Amino acid sequence: MECNDVQEKLSAYVEGIISHDEKMLIDEHLTLCQKCCESLADLEKTVEYINNLEDIEPPAWLTQKIMTKVKTEVHPKKGILQKLFYPLHIKVPIEAVAVILTAVTALYIFKTFQPEVKFAKIPSEEVTTQSPLQEKDTFQRDLKSKENVSPPLPPLERGGKGGFEAEQPMPSKKPETMGKFKEAPKAPTPVVKQDEIRAYTGAVAKDESKTEVLSRAPKALSEIKGKIISLTINVKDIETAGKEIEKAFTQLGGRIIKTESLENKQIINAELDSKKLKELFEKLKRIGEIKENETELKVLEGDVSITIEIIKISTQPQ
Amino acid sequence: MREKEQTTTDEDAELVSSCKKGNVDAFEVLVRKHQKRMLNIAYRMIGSYEDACEIVQDTFISAYKGIKNFEEKARFSTWLYTIVINLSKNRLKQLKIQSYREEFSIDDPVLTDGGKINIEPASCEPSIVERLEKKDVQQKVQGCINSLDNEFKEILILRDIQGFSYDEISDMLKIPEGTVKSRLSRARYALKDCLKKVIGDL
Repeated sequence: MECNDVQEKLSAYVEGIISHDEKMLIDEHLTLCQKCCESLADLEKTVEYINNLEDIEPPAWLTQKIMTKVKTEVHPKKGILQKLFYPLHIKVPIEAVAVILTAVTALYIFKTFQPEVKFAKIPSEEVTTQSPLQEKDTFQRDLKSKENVSPPLPPLERGGKGGFEAEQPMPSKKPETMGKFKEAPKAPTPVVKQDEIRAYTGAVAKDESKTEVLSRAPKALSEIKGKIISLTINVKDIETAGKEIEKAFTQLGGRIIKTESLENKQIINAELDSKKLKELFEKLKRIGEIKENETELKVLEGDVSITIEIIKISTQPQ
Repeated sequence: MREKEQTTTDEDAELVSSCKKGNVDAFEVLVRKHQKRMLNIAYRMIGSYEDACEIVQDTFISAYKGIKNFEEKARFSTWLYTIVINLSKNRLKQLKIQSYREEFSIDDPVLTDGGKINIEPASCEPSIVERLEKKDVQQKVQGCINSLDNEFKEILILRDIQGFSYDEISDMLKIPEGTVKSRLSRARYALKDCLKKVIGDL
């Protein structure tokens, strides 16, 4: 065995953790080799020195300090985490409640404001109730010059306020302007005009001097279907009556869809809430003699399409 | 060889599982039980009593934080000593104790932490001279340990000072047992050379 090999194994030899055969070989070498013997002695001494190192004692405060650190450093960290997450747990419901409250408030404000916006228009429309006064003037004029184009000024003035310009009934001689009339005004306002409300008899009733002879329009019934009501109204003055009817619709919150002026008659297509029908009929009765389809009226709900045919009462028979 | 407490696994396991449930008192028992050995390892590694105390504190705190992840494959003590060795090595790197790595010289002041040893109360026996000599030798040995490379240092401390088995050391340092043996052999020779220079005739 070479010295190098022996020296490598001396460490294990010192500890006695070496196979018997190896130990024999090393022992044999050691008897011959002085150098290796010295190495062994030095190594044994070294191990002895290091083994004899005294243990040091921990300071008395060490355990206490460690435990204090463990309690204050490890546990407060949980506290910090809780502080971070605690507000989140609380905030989410708060935010949810805030959003819901905002939505509810917004809805409430919207609902309460909307009618007020509508009512704001009423005064301007009330003005139009004066028209019956002008009716006779126009009536006279119309009787004289039926063939002439005479744009009715009072309705135009009202139009600016009431929001139904381009809706004025035109003389029957101007069918080319019909397209214009198709633009229906969108200012429906439910207004009950007390002075115009009359008892509704439901049947053909003579109301005022204007209404005279009932003569049914041939076209009226043909348009009855579903929610469509057709009625015919006999008047002396088509133009004035047309304006009156449009006004009535506007006041009741209805919508004029189309106004058609033909010779000796005017057809108004409009939409109206069925609940307002009764009021409409009362208004119409003041204007002229009505004939409507009674059966349709009762089943209706929601918006109804109404076709009104205004027919001039022929004065010839009289 | 000092073979110290090697059969405490069951006791520790109980305390460890108690700690995992958040029992701080159980942890305190573990601290009291292991702190001395850990302090000795750290002290021999670093050579400074104050630093060793700090490292023991850091070790226990990181052990407490990590105890929930501690799988009971190894012994709790082995796990603790692995932490203390790693933290000691990190501290040594931090301190950049370059001088410790230089060859130890008789002329150099012995770089040990004298604090603890110096404040030992004087006693009549053994004689002051003997005691001083003994302290001197102890300091010289520690100085030599300080001068060794970290890999020699740790293996000498674990084997020749703390008396861990090769198997345990292999676990702690995560090196094969054969490497433990050969490295230990070289470490002993290195220490022997140093001691010869410092003490003279062994």
